[in-house]
Amino acid sequence: MIAVTRMLRLELRHNAMALMVPVVVVLFWFTTYRRVMAMPPLWNLRAADLQMYSVVDFVTPLTGAAAWMGSRESRRRLADAVLITPRARWARLLATWAATTIWALVAYVGCVAVVYGMTAGQVAGGGPLWWPAAVAAASLPAFTALGFAAGVLAPTRLTAPVTAIVAFFVLVLSTELIGHNGHSYWQIAPIVSVAWNTGSNPGVATFYPYLPDLSIAQVMFLAGVAVTLLGTLALVGESRAVRAAAGGVTAAGLAAAATAVLLVGTSAMDPHGMMRIPALHDAANDRPVQFTPVCSHAAIPVCLNPAYSAYLASTTAALEPVLNEIAGLPGAPARILQEAATYRVDSRDGEEVRPTEGNTNGEAVYHLLLPVQMLGPTLTTAQTASQVKWTDGPDIVANFIGAGPGASQAQNAVAAALTMVLGRVSADPNLRADLNGEAPGGPGPSELGGLIRGTAAQSAAERFAALPAQTRRAWLASHLAALRAGQITLSQLP
Amino acid sequence: MNENSAMNVEITGLTRRFGSATAVAGVDLRAGPGVFGLLGPNGAGKTTLLRMMATAVSPTSGQLRLLGRDPAGYGPRREIRRRLGYLPQNPGYYPGFTVTEFVEYFALLKEVPAGTVRQAVATAIDRVGLADRRKHRLRTLSGGMLRRACIAQAIVNEPELVLFDEPTAGLDPQQRVTFRALLRELGQHATVVVSTHLVEDVGAACAEVALMDRGRIVFQGTPDELMACADGQAAGDTPLERGYTAALDRAQS
Repeated sequence: MIAVTRMLRLELRHNAMALMVPVVVVLFWFTTYRRVMAMPPLWNLRAADLQMYSVVDFVTPLTGAAAWMGSRESRRRLADAVLITPRARWARLLATWAATTIWALVAYVGCVAVVYGMTAGQVAGGGPLWWPAAVAAASLPAFTALGFAAGVLAPTRLTAPVTAIVAFFVLVLSTELIGHNGHSYWQIAPIVSVAWNTGSNPGVATFYPYLPDLSIAQVMFLAGVAVTLLGTLALVGESRAVRAAAGGVTAAGLAAAATAVLLVGTSAMDPHGMMRIPALHDAANDRPVQFTPVCSHAAIPVCLNPAYSAYLASTTAALEPVLNEIAGLPGAPARILQEAATYRVDSRDGEEVRPTEGNTNGEAVYHLLLPVQMLGPTLTTAQTASQVKWTDGPDIVANFIGAGPGASQAQNAVAAALTMVLGRVSADPNLRADLNGEAPGGPGPSELGGLIRGTAAQSAAERFAALPAQTRRAWLASHLAALRAGQITLSQLP
Repeated sequence: MNENSAMNVEITGLTRRFGSATAVAGVDLRAGPGVFGLLGPNGAGKTTLLRMMATAVSPTSGQLRLLGRDPAGYGPRREIRRRLGYLPQNPGYYPGFTVTEFVEYFALLKEVPAGTVRQAVATAIDRVGLADRRKHRLRTLSGGMLRRACIAQAIVNEPELVLFDEPTAGLDPQQRVTFRALLRELGQHATVVVSTHLVEDVGAACAEVALMDRGRIVFQGTPDELMACADGQAAGDTPLERGYTAALDRAQS
């Protein structure tokens, strides 16, 4: 044991991967750290991207360094000198591989510690996701084993660069083969952390636990690959007993890797946007995560999952004009409550389904889905608030008034009038900017409610919107039931 | 102790072919403790014979017994390797290692008991005269010093069978003299086989010598017997060189 420790110490001191650590750290900072830390402070988002990009950062220098170390004895003309020593060849090679892997893991753990440490200081809820980090960590021994085996078996100076380049392209191009098929075997690639078609999505793994099914299969595959490659190195030049053991280890590794690939072939996206593998699935992970929402002190409280608390102020500001209009009136929601996104599992693209209004514990609740929970480009806080304002604001009003297709002209006019209020009152400078047309997709006030400019309904809506707020509230308090019942005409509107 | 038990190298009809080329053709050789010189021109088969004796390559045919064991089996081969020292013709090295680290690395590979590694390394480095360079990286050493560092790795396990392939190549005259003293010292306890084409090394250090040509041993005897082979027409500056040339001419005629 002392001898092995000393050998490992020597190998650690003279390992090519030690020289590559600064390169990897710079790569990581340049392509992963800056990208990940620019994302909203959500564990799910950052962990998923950390897995994907860190593996890509590490694969080339790591595989190349391992191949360089694997070919070292031949390149340095020491093959004969070490061959005629009594220590088993596999033990000698394993020490070199282990040193390479240890350096890689040290670099990786350092990178993850920085990202997770910084994120821990920024997020308001939830905890770090360890499975994505574990998959990336498990990929390191597999890639070192790949490079090292290539170096041992083909000990030329070209082996290292060729192996590094091939490993990079195989890794990156493997995801191209996933396509739209949720059952693709290629999801075994360690850069896949969530349903590949949805990409990293802040809507997953917050309201429901992160499903480790895919991660477990990936770790199993990577461990199998590493064991197979290392076992292969002990199949020649050893005693019969060692060769037999190596054969068993190699077969076991192959079986593990093949089983993992087959398991991934049975995967499918679950309603919460994560990959589920029936044979590995733990039903306990289907239960929602218990949390106490953080709520604003608006006329109607806006309540979000603590993980999204960074959006609370802007979301409240976006909805406050509408909420002030309807707060306390009969039929107004008691709370605006953020809900989990639900994914259409039969959809090839896994688009989310918006929640509907409903009752929670007997109180009227409007269920809110923040735009950042949906698929699409990452949004800033201001962009998120803008979309909430122009999507959920009119929706809340429409639900409250009963406006929409089949409703009376008066209902639609009142709904449009209340929605126009959104564009008139805003304390948030970002939201005011949105109203000036700076935010993409923000509707102009004249288009609100689907009313056509110049019509009687539109005139009535503008007239109603122009009333003092207290006058509108007083009128609504006394006429709301009749308005919802379709018994109010446009001419009866004040 | 009878004669057979003292023979650390027993070779009978040893042959090694590489494709259609025969590098070693039916060599018979026996060597006990002492320094044994293996002479011969380039391409005579010395290195291949030494590599077979080092268990680096296996013979195509013939019998090979080293330290009383047959290296064909894994267990005996491992035991032989534990008691073997080998300096290849073109010894490699890891440039980033210090002299101490390089020799320690081989001590660990040779399964020198963990408790004695440090002392064994220091002793080996002292014996090759590199004590003052022990902390220097190999890439900073001269060719002669590198050669000595490689000799240190070969003897770090106090081997009973030492195989040196062209050990004095690259050494300056003073270093060669020192090295010959080391050979004589090693030969007191071990069988040392030295392959060389420098006949003065043989004359100075070897008790017995074999001359190889085209894969065969064409002469075996003492250096004095080799000198006696010289006739009046053989080329050479020293009696041993003239004996070497005469024996070789006789084999090739």
